[in-house]
Amino acid sequence: MFSKRNVTTYAIAFAFILVLNFLLPRMMPGDPLMAIYGDEALIAMTPELRAQLVERFALDQSLWQQAGAYFLALFQGELGHSYYYNAPVLTVILGRLPWTLLLVGTSLVLSTVLGIVLGLESGWRRGSRADRAMLAGLMSLNGFPDFFLGMLLLIIFGAGLGIFPLAGALTPYSGLSGLALVLDILRHLFLPVAALTLSHLASGYLLTRNTMITVLKEPYMLTARAKGLPPRILKYRHAGRNSMLPVVTSTGIWIGRVVTGAIFVELVFAYPGVGSLIYEALLTRDYPVIQGVFLLVAIFVLAANFLVDLSYPKLDPRVSYAY
Amino acid sequence: MIKRILSLIPKLLIPAIIASLLVLPSCATSPAEITSYTIADSTGDWGYPSPYTHYSRGPGYTRMSFIFETLVWKSATDFVPQLAKEWEYVEGEDAYIFRLQNNVSWHDGTEFTAEDVVFTFDYAKEHPYQLVDNTIVKSAEAVDKYTVKLYLSKPYSPFLQNVAGTQPIIPKHIWQDVSEPGKFTDPAAVIGTGPYTLADYSKEHGTYLYNAFDDYYLGRPPVKEIKFIKISEEMTPAALKEGSVSAGSIAPEIVSEMEKAGLTIITAPVAWNAKMTINHQKAPLSSKQFRQALAYAIDRESLAQITQRGHALAGSPGVIPPTSDWYNPDTPQYEYDPVRSQQLLEELGYQMEGDYFTKDGKELELELIAAADYKEVGQFIKQQLEAVGIKVDFKTLEAKTVDSKVEAWDFDLSIYGHGGLYDPSILNKVIMDEGFNSARYESNETLNQLLGAQLTEMDASQRKDMVFQIQEVYAEDLPALTLYYPKWYWAHDGSVNLFYTKDGIASGVPIPLNRMAFVK
Repeated sequence: MFSKRNVTTYAIAFAFILVLNFLLPRMMPGDPLMAIYGDEALIAMTPELRAQLVERFALDQSLWQQAGAYFLALFQGELGHSYYYNAPVLTVILGRLPWTLLLVGTSLVLSTVLGIVLGLESGWRRGSRADRAMLAGLMSLNGFPDFFLGMLLLIIFGAGLGIFPLAGALTPYSGLSGLALVLDILRHLFLPVAALTLSHLASGYLLTRNTMITVLKEPYMLTARAKGLPPRILKYRHAGRNSMLPVVTSTGIWIGRVVTGAIFVELVFAYPGVGSLIYEALLTRDYPVIQGVFLLVAIFVLAANFLVDLSYPKLDPRVSYAY
Repeated sequence: MIKRILSLIPKLLIPAIIASLLVLPSCATSPAEITSYTIADSTGDWGYPSPYTHYSRGPGYTRMSFIFETLVWKSATDFVPQLAKEWEYVEGEDAYIFRLQNNVSWHDGTEFTAEDVVFTFDYAKEHPYQLVDNTIVKSAEAVDKYTVKLYLSKPYSPFLQNVAGTQPIIPKHIWQDVSEPGKFTDPAAVIGTGPYTLADYSKEHGTYLYNAFDDYYLGRPPVKEIKFIKISEEMTPAALKEGSVSAGSIAPEIVSEMEKAGLTIITAPVAWNAKMTINHQKAPLSSKQFRQALAYAIDRESLAQITQRGHALAGSPGVIPPTSDWYNPDTPQYEYDPVRSQQLLEELGYQMEGDYFTKDGKELELELIAAADYKEVGQFIKQQLEAVGIKVDFKTLEAKTVDSKVEAWDFDLSIYGHGGLYDPSILNKVIMDEGFNSARYESNETLNQLLGAQLTEMDASQRKDMVFQIQEVYAEDLPALTLYYPKWYWAHDGSVNLFYTKDGIASGVPIPLNRMAFVK
């Protein structure tokens, strides 16, 4: 079903991304030597140390040599060695990736499911008081950036009421294991997930609600109603499925941003994620880490695209004939 | 709602009671046992705490210094013995003799001897340790099992501070086989002589766990366990109040609130300054008189009050802060005097036309660039210079972009800051060194000669005279202008008597986490 032509398109996009990925960090002003060691007054930057670092960072090599080394290593599955973290890039990223996936993945699922359900219910009851209240509430939530909601939640439920922890993904060195550890992780997860979910809920909700309202006017809905189907089936099977297309698209875009989508929330909650990693790597001009994370982002975006492409015909078979 | 809040009170009270119970024993001066001490840090990860893998900043050194020791160390007031019991300078030979402790063992039980010290300095010749200039020690020699002689390549006045008190001593039996120290992250890489051993380090969570080393040669450390955890600076106060954190750095604005909550506040002696860098290679800024006119036009006292909300001291044009022993009170101060500033500009041939000065029909305009952190400072300077008649085009740029423009001399004025203000050797770095963080000012022969001489003058009072003269000459020439020195605060629960080390930990780290506080 997936044509050769599609594969070529993906391959070209991926190759293009790899080249950009290599060039962009190096086009930023400043170099890692300056960024990592520049403003520390206590460093004894002797000519020997400088020479060693230049060699270690391969800054004495031409762009072509660096590119050759990078692509060669990449085909061997190597992402390079981080300048700042002084560790293999893959290790650095893999240490953080599970936490980002847990955080963003959970809130992605929650905000999508909740957005669809609320959107359907709201659209079904368009014009009612419940609909208007939900619309107004979610619209105003939509106006808050996620980090602001995060800070608000942290100040109220963390610092104020002391119900939730103030930072991190788990209590360090608590000696917990098994179920107690899982509960500890969930307790740390709650506020950041809440912040992300609440701030992203509105877009799915609005999309679903709008399509729902359009769909409800379709003749086939009248037919279905005339058949005497119960409202639950009407709402979810007939109207719901047809309202999901735009949400699937927007969720697909979101999946592409899973890796970096929580930068600010991660910073507010001191949560160990890839988002805060890219932030630190940019500050220190850590080219290998920047490349590694961008590569990951590219893979996620392409994979999300691919999944959306696959799921479209299932939701709406007409798409297959659209040429 | 009220009921719910009331029901929470016991939950809030219990940690508070526990915290206050923990605080009480500290009132006694004898070393009471403390089971666990938690330190908050907003960055978290500072690298694997081994000499060649910790990140090249003060907090990285501090974490390493709980495990690795130096020949000499510092208390709140002076140098104190560490791995060396005694030391002396042999003038005729440009050498230091260190007599070592003879009851020290490495964490793996191997005996510590002079061989390890000799090895450390030899190893650093090939693999420079980031915080010590490896060209200062020419050679190291073991006189006997517990005596070491270090020959200097030339006399170096801050030797105890910058070399003997900073270079971590590593065990020969482990490191002799290590060819790539930057990648050495074995458990063996954290075997030192210090009072603590590393129990865990997590890069992604930014946490460290240390256990007391019971066979420590100065006695069992009373604090059994030290934890470093990652928490944002905004949340540190709440964590200190609830007792989940024992110590942490706090913003100046909440000092009084923390004091009311019963926490102990300590203030760092000034270690850092913000500067206005001036492109002295380019007209009209290449004129000394012009630079002086700039200095008269900027009210540094108000700048510290307004832009730093009073949590800063006004800068001294000689770099060295007034709180330092090395400060020369006769340094020219350029008290705020806009009229004098205008006079100087008129003497240089500028004429006031409308709001701004002009010369040869061209308006006097300067470009000021700075990172977003200095937005308020930059706006303040723009306003003050424009009030005098110098038009300023102020731009905020990404920090590293500013650095590279300054490095390439592609700027007029810029704002940036640096630390290390404890030992006057910093003056050589920020005046003569290459790179954006230095004024790169070498056109005054007297200044060059004085800077060179103060580094090799082994007589303390003569060195002080030179440092005094340097401040006067530098402030007269003004290749850059120190604007303010911010105040830094830490809050802690008092269970451990934290203190700021004399002239900073090692070569000048302004963090109150001297391992001695956890040992005695």
